[in-house]
Amino acid sequence: MDWWRSLRTQETTHSRFIGMLSLTVLTLVITFFLPPVADSQLAGGAAIAIVVLGLSWLTGWSGQISLGNSGFMAVGAYAAGIWAHHHTSTPLVFTLILALVVGGISGLIIAIPSTRLRGPYLAGMTLAFSAAVTPLAQNFSSVTGGEGGLFFNSLVTPKWFLHLFSGPYAAINANAQWSADLAVVVAGVMFFFMANLFHSRTGRAMRLVRDNDVAAELMGVNLARARTSAFVVSAAFAGIGGALYSLLQASVRPETFPIGLSITLLTLMVLGGIGTLSGAVIGGIIYSFSTNLVAHVNSLTGVNPTSNVGANMQGMIFSVLLIVTMLFAPRGIVSLKTPLRRLFRARPLAPAAKEVH
Amino acid sequence: MIRVEGLSVNFGAVKALRNVSFEAPTGQITAVLGANGAGKTTLLRTISGLVSPQSGTIHLDDVALVGMATENIARLGVGHVPEGRGVIEELTVEQNLRLGALSSKVNLNEGLEEQYARFPVLGERRRKYCATLSGGERQMLAMARALIAKPRVLLLDEPSLGLAPQVTSQLMKAIRKLCETQSLTVILVEQNAKSALRIAHQALVLHLGSVVAIGDASSVADDEDLRRYYLGVVVT
Amino acid sequence: MSVFLSSPLMHNIFAGFAQGIIYSLVALSLVIIWQSTHVLNFAQGAMAMIATYIGMTEIDRGIGYWWCVIISVVVGMTLGGVTERVLIRPLYGKPEINPIVVMIGFLGFLEALAAAIWTSTTRNIAEPFSQIYFKSNGHLVFLSSFVIFQIVLAMGIMLSVAALFRFTKLGLQLRASALAPEVSRLLGVRVSRMLTIGWTLSAGVGAIAAVIIASGNFGLFPANMDGIFVASFIAAAVGGLESPLGAVAGGLIIGLTEQFIVAYWSPDVAPLGGIIILVIALMIRPQGLFTKNTIRRV
Ligand SMILES: Nc1ncnc2c1ncn2[C@@H]1O[C@H](COP(=O)(O)OP(=O)(O)O)[C@@H](O)[C@H]1O
Ligand SMILES: [Mg+2]
Repeated sequence: MDWWRSLRTQETTHSRFIGMLSLTVLTLVITFFLPPVADSQLAGGAAIAIVVLGLSWLTGWSGQISLGNSGFMAVGAYAAGIWAHHHTSTPLVFTLILALVVGGISGLIIAIPSTRLRGPYLAGMTLAFSAAVTPLAQNFSSVTGGEGGLFFNSLVTPKWFLHLFSGPYAAINANAQWSADLAVVVAGVMFFFMANLFHSRTGRAMRLVRDNDVAAELMGVNLARARTSAFVVSAAFAGIGGALYSLLQASVRPETFPIGLSITLLTLMVLGGIGTLSGAVIGGIIYSFSTNLVAHVNSLTGVNPTSNVGANMQGMIFSVLLIVTMLFAPRGIVSLKTPLRRLFRARPLAPAAKEVH
Repeated sequence: MIRVEGLSVNFGAVKALRNVSFEAPTGQITAVLGANGAGKTTLLRTISGLVSPQSGTIHLDDVALVGMATENIARLGVGHVPEGRGVIEELTVEQNLRLGALSSKVNLNEGLEEQYARFPVLGERRRKYCATLSGGERQMLAMARALIAKPRVLLLDEPSLGLAPQVTSQLMKAIRKLCETQSLTVILVEQNAKSALRIAHQALVLHLGSVVAIGDASSVADDEDLRRYYLGVVVT
Repeated sequence: MSVFLSSPLMHNIFAGFAQGIIYSLVALSLVIIWQSTHVLNFAQGAMAMIATYIGMTEIDRGIGYWWCVIISVVVGMTLGGVTERVLIRPLYGKPEINPIVVMIGFLGFLEALAAAIWTSTTRNIAEPFSQIYFKSNGHLVFLSSFVIFQIVLAMGIMLSVAALFRFTKLGLQLRASALAPEVSRLLGVRVSRMLTIGWTLSAGVGAIAAVIIASGNFGLFPANMDGIFVASFIAAAVGGLESPLGAVAGGLIIGLTEQFIVAYWSPDVAPLGGIIILVIALMIRPQGLFTKNTIRRV
C-alpha cells in the first residue's frame, strides 16, 4: 500500500515521533498521581480514543460515515477474547495485532458492498451491521460464550511493577495503573501511526476523495479502492480498540457493544473535532470522565442518580451535545479558541476538517 | 413594467453585475444580449429573487422585488423560463402545466385548453413524461407553463439555445405575438443576437456585468462596433 | 384447504407478510422524507415511539383506542414538522453527513428521554382486536383479527399516500419540490412549506406503524423501533430510497425473509438476512431495484 512508502519518505516522521512520545510519557507520569478509579477510567478512555481516531479518519479524511464501529469493536474484542481465553500465555502484543487484523478484515467484508454507497446509505448499512453483530455473538455461543460471555486475564501486572507500590492497597493501585499505562502506550502507538497516515500521500489523496471525487479520479486515484482502504483502517482501529477495551475488563460479552456505543463514538468524534488527532484525544478524555461529569450534573440539578432521569442523564446530555455541536460548531472543541486547545497541542497536526463532505 | 436601478451582484470575487440600470416597458420586448458569462442569467435570477444583490433596486410597477421570496415574486405575476428550460422530466406534460397554474387564480381547465390551442403538440403529448420530449417541445412546454398563470412579466433565458434555426424563428414570432396580444413585459436573454434583435423593441448589451449599450433594437442592430465587439454577429 | 392454510408454510407466510407490511410502512415514510429533503431520518423510529408513548399511555384511556391512535398520529406529525423546521432547516446545503449526525443525536436523545420519563420496561397496550388465531374445520389458520387489522390499516395508509401523491394538488407540489426545488419556486410553489409538510406527513405514517407495533405482542419500550428502523431502512434501500413502490415491496421481501430465517434457523441470524439481501440487491442493481432512472448520486 501507498502509505508504507510515504510513511518512510516523510521528513517529519521524526518530529511526530518525538511529539507523540512526549505526550505518551506525560500521560504515563500523570497516571502515577491518579487514584486507581481514575486510572481505570483513563484506560477505558485510551481504548475508546483509538476507536474514535479510526472513525475520525474515516469521516474526516475520506468523507464516509460509519455507525458500525461498535460492531468492529465487537469483532476485535471477540477475536482477542477467544484467543486469550484459550491461550493464556500469549504475549499481549500478539493478541492485539490479531484483533487489529481481524477487525480490518471484517471492515473489508463490509466495505466491499458499501463503498458504492455514500452518506445515508452507508450509514444505514453500517448501522444494520452493528445491529447484527450482537445477536450473532449470541447465536454462536459455543465459541463466544453466548450471553454470559468469555473471561480471560491477560493483563498480569509484572512483579517489578508491583514493587513500586506499598501500603494496604498496593496491589489494587499497581494493577489499575499497569492497565492504564499499557492502554496509554497502545494508544500512543496507534496515534503515532495515524499521525503519519494523515501526512502521507494516502492522507492527501483521501482528502481529495472527500472534497472532490471527480478531481481525485482525474489524478488517478481509484475511488473505490481509496474508500475501501479508509474503511479497513477505521475497522482495524476499532478492532484493536475494542480488544483493548475488553482486555481491560477481562471479559467480553454481547452487551458490551450495543448500537448505542456507535452513537457514543460519533458523539465523541464530533465533540472533539472531526478528522484531528487532538479531537480524538479530547473524545477519549470526555469518555473517561463522563461518569464524573454526569454525576456532577445530577448533583447540580438535584436529580437522584439512581432515578430514571438520573440513569438516563448521560444519554440525554451526550445526544444534546452532539446535536448542538453539529449545528453550531461542526468542527468541534478543537476549533474553539479555548485554553484547552493549547493544552492539548491542539494546533491540530492535520488541518482541521473545514466541513465534512 | 420592470425598473432596475444600480444593480450589483457579486459571487465572492466575481462581479457578475455592476451597477446595471434599465427599464423594461409594458407591452415591449427588451432583449438582453452579451457573450457567455456576461451576467445575463444572473440578471434574470436576481429579478426572480433567486440571487440577492449587493446593491440596487428592482421594481415591478411600484412593488420593490429585492428581498422578496422567489415564490412570492412568481405569485405577483413574474413568469421565468430558466436557462435549460427547467422542465421536470419525471412529471408528465400536463402535470408540469398544472404545476404552473397552481399558484395563480386562473381556471385550470381553461388554462390547459388555451395552452393546448396555442401549442397543439403539447395537447397531443399531454400524458407523456417530459423526459421523452424534444428540445423544441420542451421549450414550448416551458413557455406554456409560464404563460398558463397569466403572468404580467415574462423572463426568458436563452430560449433559442439548442433549437434548429426554423424552430427558433417560429419561437421568436410567437414571443412577439404574445407580447403584443397580452401586453406582456418581456425580458428576452439571448446569445443569438440576430434573431432576438429582429423581434425586440429595445436592447441592452451586457459585457462582464456592465451595461455597454442600451437603446432601440434597430439602433443596436445597426451599430457596427457593438456588433463586432460584443455581439459577435456579422449581419450582412 | 384448511389443512393447507394451517400448514407451517402458510403460518410463516402470514407472519412474514404481517411483519413485512410494517417495514413497508416505515420504509415508505423514509422514502417520503428522502424524496422531499434528501435526508435519511435516523430518528424516524424514535419519533414515532415518542408519539406512541404520548398518545397511547399518557392519555386517559377512557376516550377509547381510536382516539388515542389519532392523538399519537397528530403528535407524531407535529414532531415531524417541528423537527424539520428546527433541526433540519439549518442544515440544507451543508455536507450530507451533518443532518445524518444530527438525526442520530436526536435518536439518542428521544430514546434516553423516553427511558427517563416512562422507564425502559415494556408496556403492553390493550390490543384493539383479538390475537387468537382463527379456526377452520378444527384447524388453526394462522391469522387473527389483529393480524388482519394490522394488514388492512397498513395497506389503507399506503393507498392513501399513493392517492395523495398521484391525484392531489398538494401531492403534485410535494413531488415537484423534491424533484426540482428551484423551478418549483419559480412557478410559485412554497417549497420550504412543502418540505415541512413532507416531514409532517412522513412522521404521521411512521407513528401509525409504531402504534400498530406497540399494540401487538411486541409492546412499547424506548428502543422498540430500533430493529424495525434498521429493517425498514434496508427495505427502502433495496427499493432505492426513491421509489414508494420499491419501499413497499422491499418491506415485504425483508419481512418474509426474516420470518423464514427465524423459523428454519435462528432469530439471532435474522438481522444478518436483511443485510445479505441488501448486498445482493446492490450487486444486481446498485441504484435500487425499483429506481427508474439510472443516475443517482450514491
Ligand atoms: N452561483 C454562482 N456562483 C459563482 N459564480 C457565478 C454563479 N453564477 C454565475 N456566476 C458567475 O457570474 C458570471 C456571470 O454568469 P451568468 O450570469 O451565468 O452569465 P451569462 O448568463 O451571461 O452567460 C460568470 O462569471 C459566472 O461564472
Ligand atoms: Mg446564461
